[in-house]
Order: sequence, then structure tokens, then C-alpha cells
Amino acid sequence: MNETGQPVVLMVDDEPRILSALVRALRREGYELLTAESPQEALRMAEQHPIDCVLSDHRMPGMTGIELLERIAARRPRAARLLITGWNTEIPVSELERLGVRHVLSKPWKDADLKQELRAALGDACASR
Amino acid sequence: MTSDSIGWGKLGAAGPHILVAELDLGPRVLAPSIALGVISIGMPSYGPVTVETAASLSECIDRAHRANYDLVVVDESLGAEAEEIVARLRCGGASLVVLQRTPSDAAALAWFRRGAAEVVLADRDLAALRHAAREQIERVRAARAGGAPGDVSAADGILRHLGSAVVLVDASGEITFANPAAEQILGSSMIDLHGKPLRGFLAEEVGESQLASALAGVAATPAIETRVRRRDGSFVPIALSCGPVFGTDGRPGGVVAAFRDLSDAQQWRAHVLQTEKMASIGQLAAGVAHEINNPMGFIHANLFQMTEYVADLRQIWNRAEVLLKTIGGSDPEAVRIAAAELSEAATELDVGFLLQDLAKAIRESQEGSERIRHIVQDLRDFSHQDTGERVLADLNQCLDSTANIVWPMMKHIVVLSKHYGELPPVPCYPMQIKQVFMNLLVNAYQAIEEAVAIRAYPGIGTVTLTTTPNDGGVLVEIADTGTGIAPDHLDRIFDPFFTTKKVGAGTGLGLSTSFNIIRRHGGTMRVESALGRGTAFKIHLPLLGEEIGSDLV
Repeated sequence: MNETGQPVVLMVDDEPRILSALVRALRREGYELLTAESPQEALRMAEQHPIDCVLSDHRMPGMTGIELLERIAARRPRAARLLITGWNTEIPVSELERLGVRHVLSKPWKDADLKQELRAALGDACASR
Repeated sequence: MTSDSIGWGKLGAAGPHILVAELDLGPRVLAPSIALGVISIGMPSYGPVTVETAASLSECIDRAHRANYDLVVVDESLGAEAEEIVARLRCGGASLVVLQRTPSDAAALAWFRRGAAEVVLADRDLAALRHAAREQIERVRAARAGGAPGDVSAADGILRHLGSAVVLVDASGEITFANPAAEQILGSSMIDLHGKPLRGFLAEEVGESQLASALAGVAATPAIETRVRRRDGSFVPIALSCGPVFGTDGRPGGVVAAFRDLSDAQQWRAHVLQTEKMASIGQLAAGVAHEINNPMGFIHANLFQMTEYVADLRQIWNRAEVLLKTIGGSDPEAVRIAAAELSEAATELDVGFLLQDLAKAIRESQEGSERIRHIVQDLRDFSHQDTGERVLADLNQCLDSTANIVWPMMKHIVVLSKHYGELPPVPCYPMQIKQVFMNLLVNAYQAIEEAVAIRAYPGIGTVTLTTTPNDGGVLVEIADTGTGIAPDHLDRIFDPFFTTKKVGAGTGLGLSTSFNIIRRHGGTMRVESALGRGTAFKIHLPLLGEEIGSDLV
């Protein structure tokens, strides 16, 4: 959470248009929204900001979303972890469970689902503080 | 057509085998007499006698081509058909005996000239015929047992039962013999084929020239793929080889043409090609779905958001309308309130941002839909079928559009490096060439994927596409920095069904199919590889490639 008490959400996707649409959808949800266009940038931001939730794409250059979530979890263990992917290869359920990934959203997504999943994830993340 | 088979003794035993060609005049007179005659004379060393009859030319020829007779007795009363039978069967393994109905030395001489081994007069009890039959059977059997010069019965039997078609033509190119397999492929019986030019059945120039060079005495060349045109107009794909036959004077005296039906082989090949294509498309589908789902994702979200923006703008416009009405009235206080409310709404809804972001959302969505349009266009190009003829194609364009399709699948771990040279148009079947490119690109990606997995993330490989005009053709190189191919696998990679991929990841046909496609374009495909360093496939396609084979698959 930031100084003004807003939950901080980090969104990661190598497609900037996706980030732009996510920001548009969530701008009135009362979060501080951070975006990163690469896993490396996301790692830097997770270092600098007190993030409460990571919402990441899965297939990205250099690193998968699963691997990114794992590395962020090491630094921010209490941040909720969500994936959003248009890649229909199966991500092993065991991996999802091991990393405590709350939910996998698929692209295209429904705004209502997105908002609901984030609220639920942040509710849990904030409650666990 | 009628025929009878009268057998004495065990069926199938290799006793004397006799064919009697006689008019079908009710009760047969000749066949039983000959059989009884042969038996009464006694030929114990030859086993049981089998006598068959044929009542017409076609039946006679048909039977003679299917069975191996020792003796063919031809009744002169068959007239012109009798002459034809003797003429056609003179070179077979059977001895020919003609039964004269009226005595005539001139006629007998003519029969000998046509190829009869013996001519006998039909006397009351056919004693002369029985005697001649026994004599001829003994002669034929003795010749066979001794393998006397000129004995063709063994070869004859082989030809009859051979699965491949064999046609003999004389020096003028006319058919003198066709085995049953040839009859089947050419869709005509020996009777129809006899005397016809073989050239008339060859549907393509490549087959005609093969025949012509054999007729000119040029030694047999490797089999070529071509087609024959049957009399009903249908085509049969064949593998044809022609070899010259030389007469005793050492001059070319005819040709042996051997061919086999490739229909099944071609269907199989087409099936393999299609299977391989479907397998590649299956691998692509996931990548393409991703590439479409990304823009679909943000277009979908943006549309939803733009609806909200429009609702916000509607609210602001409602306030503006109220203000306009009050301005028309005479209440300055109402105007002030309406103006304040409009200003408040505009601030609260952040109209400046709203208008700016609405325009941005529209722009981004347009760009996204344009991307989807491109992907669909590329896919449509790829699923397009080749027409039956070669066309002049820009191989840079073929390679680039194929790379575009494969790109979504690989872009998370691959950097594409393109070096396209100025290429002349190449005569080819573009879809087949694109399929080769796709196979190689997918292989390159998988080799990098494996390499990345071994070295662990993060890792990115490079696929280098290079095209250059070269040596009367075009050179296309697709190189990757993947795992490389083990030296002991290198000479097997073009073999059908050879694969090192895990079950389900490949058909084992990709490279062999690719190799065959390039070969049929008259081109070459080579591979260089170093374990741990990567692999390069080099394809050379000629500009004036002679097409190998006629099939389009």
C-alpha cells in the first residue's frame, strides 16, 4: 500500500496496448497502478514499490510470467499473484499451486471479472497484513 | 465367351497343359479327343493332363497370357481369328498346332510361316492330331527341362505373374507383347494393344523421350515419373523405365518398357504432405491464437471502456444543454448555477483526459484490428492451395510471410535476423515452398527452445534468414543457434519417420517431405550442423529447374 493507503497493483505485459487497456479499465478502482513492459522492468519496480498485487502476462521475452511471479514472491511474499494470458498452452497446475497463483485470467478478458479478481486478491492480501 | 476346363488327375499338378481354340459348336469334339489321346499314349513322366478350351480370339489370347500352356491347338475353322491367334502366340512358350479342315499344302505352308509348329489334317479319329499333340508336348517339355536355347517359358511365366507392367515394342515402337499387369494399367487387353504404338499411351513428353532414346539404342536410364493416358481418357501415374533390345545384327530391334502404377504411392505422398501440413498448423494454432488474443484482449477492453467514456460525455452534454436553455431564459442565477454544474461535471469526470484517452483508445483499437487483419491475411495466404502449374514466385515474399506466421510462436525466445538479397522470380509451387520454409522455421524454433531449456532461462536464440541469387538459381539459408544435430543423426534427418522430438511433437516427416518437395523442384537441400552451436539448412532452387516427376503433391 502507498502513503495514501491505496493498494499498489503492478501490471506486466510486453504488449503496451494491453497495459494501456488494463489501466483504462482499472483507473476508477482506487488503486495505484504501475506498469512494466518487460519482466526485468517489473523486477526493478517490485524492488522500489510496496506492491500488493502483481498481474502478469505469461509468455514474455526472456522470462515467463510464472518465473517472474516466483522471483517477485521472493522479494514481496505477501503480494497477490495473478496471471493473464492469451497463450493456451497449459501452465502446470502444480506450478500455479506452488506459487500460490490465485487466478489465471484469459485474454480477451471481461472487465467485470478482472475487477472482481483484483478486489478478491487485494482483500486477501490486505487482510493477511 | 465360353470356356471349359477338362482335367484329368490332380488339379494344380504340373502335367501337360493344353489350350484348344475351336469353334463353339455345341458338344466339343477336339478337347476330349486330345486329352484321351494324350493319356492313351501315356506320358507318365509328365503328370496329369489339363485341357482348356477357348472359342474366340480374345478368349484365347486372354488365357494364353494368364496360364503357361505347353500346347495350343488352333482349329482352322476359326478363320481369320485362327491366323491372328497363331501370329500372336508364336513367340510364347507353347507349341502351336493347327488343325486343317481341308487338305491344302499351300495353306499348310502359310501356317508354318505364321509360326505354327505343326499342321495336321482333321481325319476321322483325329489320330494325326493326337500324335502331333504328344510329339509337341514332348518337344516343349524336353526343351524346358534342358533349358534349350530359345526357351522362353520361364521368362514367360515370370512376366505373367510379375506385379510390374512389361511391354515389348518392336523397332517401329509398336506393341508386340504386354503382360497382364501392363494390360491392367493401360486399361486395354493384349488384343487391343497388339500393333498399337506405345507412344500413344504416353501422356507426357518426358515419357515419350524415354521411349525414343531406348528405340535409338540408348542404354536404360533410371525410372522417371510420368503418366499414361488410358483409352477411356483417364490418366495413371507411373514410374517408367525403357531399355533397348538389340537384334542379332547388333542393331536396336525394339524396347522393353517396364512400369508400375504410382497411384497409391502418390496418394500416400499427398496424404503425408497434408498430414505434415496439418501437424505444422497445429503447432502454429496456439501461437496464432496468442497473437490474435492479445489485440482482441485490448480491443475488447477498450470497447467496454469507450462505452463508459461516452456515458460520461453524455452526462457533460446534458449539463451543457441545461446551460444553453437557461442562457435563452431571463434568469441570470439559473445560468450561473447551470454553468457551475457543467464546470463541476467536467472537472469531476476529467473531460480533458476523457477526450484525450477516448481518442487514444480508438487509435490503439484500430491498430489492434489492423494487426488481426494481417494475421488472418497471412493465414489465408498460407492455407491457399497451389494451382496445378508452377508459377513465378518471389521467394523473399514466400519466406517473409511464412516467418510472419511462425513469429508469434517463437518471438518470446527468438530474434529474427533477415538478410534478403535481390532475387529473380523462381518457377515453383509457392505453397509447397512455404511449407518447406515453415518446417525449417518450426524446427529452428524447437532447437532454440530446447537449447534455452538446457541452459535455463533467461535465454534468447537467433534465427537467421538469408537469401541470395546464386549459380543460376536462388539460395535460401535458414540458420538457428539451437541445440544442433548429433553427427550420427545428421545423415538420417531426411529419412521418413526419423525424429528426435518427443512423441506428439513431430511426425518425423517434416524434413523428408521438405527434401522431396525441393527435389521435385529440381533443387537441392543441404544441412550443416554443430552440436551446441546450431544448424543451417541451405536450399538451392534452380531458375530453369527440370521438374522431376509430374505429380503436384
